[in-house]
Amino acid sequence: MRFNLPTEEQVRQIFTQFDEIKFLKEGGFKAVYKVSTKGNIEAFKIVFIPVYGQAEITTEVRKESLARVKREIKILNDCKSPEIVKLGTIQPTNVIFGEQEFVAYTEEYLSGNNLRELIKEKIMPSEHEVRLLLLSLLKAIREFWSLGVIHRDIKPENIIKLGLPERNYVLIDLGIAFSVIDTPLTFDTLHRMPPGTFRYLAPEMLQPNFRESIDFRSDLYAAAVTVYEYAAGQHPLAKNEDDLITTLSRIIKETPKSLREFRDDLSTLIIQIIDQMLKKIPALRPSNLNMLIKNIEDTI
Amino acid sequence: MKLFAQHGYGEGDKVNNGLKDGLISGVIYGAKDINPDRLETRLEEIKRDFPDAGRLFDPQYFVSLIGNDPNIKLGKLDEYPFFKARRRGQLEANNLVAEEIRKVLEFQAALPVTDIIAPNILISRSFDSVEAVISKSFIRQTRKIFDEFKVKQPVFATLAISREALIDTTELESFLNDITLLDSPPDGFYLLIAARDVEARYDIFNADVIAAWMLLNYSLKINGFKVINGYSDILSLFLGAVGGDIGCTGWWSNLRTFSLDRFAPETTGGRLPVQRYLSINLMNRITFYELNALRRIVPQIVNGLAKDKAYENEPERTVEILQTWEALSSMLESMAHNNNVSKNLNKCADAIKLAEELYREIKFGYRLDPKSDDSHLEPLQEGINLFKKMAEI
Repeated sequence: MRFNLPTEEQVRQIFTQFDEIKFLKEGGFKAVYKVSTKGNIEAFKIVFIPVYGQAEITTEVRKESLARVKREIKILNDCKSPEIVKLGTIQPTNVIFGEQEFVAYTEEYLSGNNLRELIKEKIMPSEHEVRLLLLSLLKAIREFWSLGVIHRDIKPENIIKLGLPERNYVLIDLGIAFSVIDTPLTFDTLHRMPPGTFRYLAPEMLQPNFRESIDFRSDLYAAAVTVYEYAAGQHPLAKNEDDLITTLSRIIKETPKSLREFRDDLSTLIIQIIDQMLKKIPALRPSNLNMLIKNIEDTI
Repeated sequence: MKLFAQHGYGEGDKVNNGLKDGLISGVIYGAKDINPDRLETRLEEIKRDFPDAGRLFDPQYFVSLIGNDPNIKLGKLDEYPFFKARRRGQLEANNLVAEEIRKVLEFQAALPVTDIIAPNILISRSFDSVEAVISKSFIRQTRKIFDEFKVKQPVFATLAISREALIDTTELESFLNDITLLDSPPDGFYLLIAARDVEARYDIFNADVIAAWMLLNYSLKINGFKVINGYSDILSLFLGAVGGDIGCTGWWSNLRTFSLDRFAPETTGGRLPVQRYLSINLMNRITFYELNALRRIVPQIVNGLAKDKAYENEPERTVEILQTWEALSSMLESMAHNNNVSKNLNKCADAIKLAEELYREIKFGYRLDPKSDDSHLEPLQEGINLFKKMAEI
């Protein structure tokens, strides 16, 4: 179930207000363009909505896709934290490119590298940088949870480093966010793998009934994996040569090496927090976010 | 970790002496063995004489579910305004649970206690049970109702679990996942692990039980709760090693192990037990006669602390608990300034190794009473190993 990527020209034909359009990336059901309107630069996002009647498409898939976009927009609207990406000037609009249906909207354009790009550069971040990243993620998770939301896709690709004093790192892409308050969106839960990126899935997400008990501690786990990977230059569990099953098995069974083994220059506080957030049992991850944030801020 | 007196029948001067000598940091009074007026008097006296001491009151609400048993020994418990026998079905209603919590907290809010212990029932069989659901209801509602009273003390939710329920680790993990993520959490938990009866030493000195009890302390502490371990006695050392804040023990065997058996009819005709001496290095109590016979052959079994002097001859019975508190405090002090759980566990393991060596020396020429022997050491070591596995340490 793929979509045909609209060309920049196709986008310009419908959104005539854009002075400049540049395709940035695509992934899953989405594509992102950098657009400029009278000097205002934004990220223009289109989300593919499958149409009933196509192969593999049922009304439930379509309903779920539409509901997910709606939820993402609603959460972004509600979030005030600078650690979370903001909505732009174009409200969600249904558009047709070719014969395919999309929902289009804009977010603020974040000018910076994503964490994956920084990890690839193999530059070990300083303790200060590691703390700033951890703080940003914890604050974002706290904001989401105050709305009863779990991001479910925290990973290096979804974090942009801005490096601004009040906005060091920003978390993007709430496409698969889960709300513990609203009606569940996922249909056919018995036969579908949990959404998310496997290397960053918390162990409890791999339990068949995870939707019954999921909470923000799954995001804490993914945040810890991400910070660990940034600090150590390697994933705490997954290895590049591993297949999917091996990765999942490691997530469930293997205890990661302490971050200390790669970064003995980092403070005990940071090492302990990251190691603790990587525990397999959610109850062993520190859930008092205010206390955690205060502990880190007090020592910056 | 601090050590508190677990109060029971026949307090006498024990708590006062323990506080005066600096052997304990506080006391938890139990409703069964003190009437409401006397309780208030004692709390006032302690507040006046030992202003820094912790003063708590265990409402022993868990007895309410067996309160209809015609043979039950309630002691002074039924003199308390909050106490009433209940059936499990009644407590399935959230509003009655709220009412019960309110009554217990209201009673304590008027007392000079330093911390308040909320009521709860005992989870007697499994975390996957109606009792566990009721217990969670008590825990969930504690903070909200406590806030109605606008008092400044911290509030502790009681979590009372039978050893049978505790050793199902899958269910324990799930229960822990729930109670560590409450919308309105209490300041801490008052943990009680129930044996089938107080003499069933191996109910508690069991690797699975020890590991699970340690996991409870570890998890609650990680999540920012204070943890008081009732009736934890020697195990306090291991619970303190993983984050427990307070351990408790008292002067009778039924104050060293928690069991609803305490409320069963007393059997008559028993004689007073032989006085025992808590040896730090053996991590166990031995009888005065054993101490006397062994102190020159294996001098390391003697603690070298002030109360040892009282054991040069057969000690007075009132000295026994002071010696216990002294030895246990000394053991806990060794963990007092170290928040590194791995290092603490290594210290515990070293202490077990030393005890094993001393027991080997003793066995060479002496036969100990079964309660004094080394059978506690294997479950302690195995408990540490199991805990480390569960906690990924």
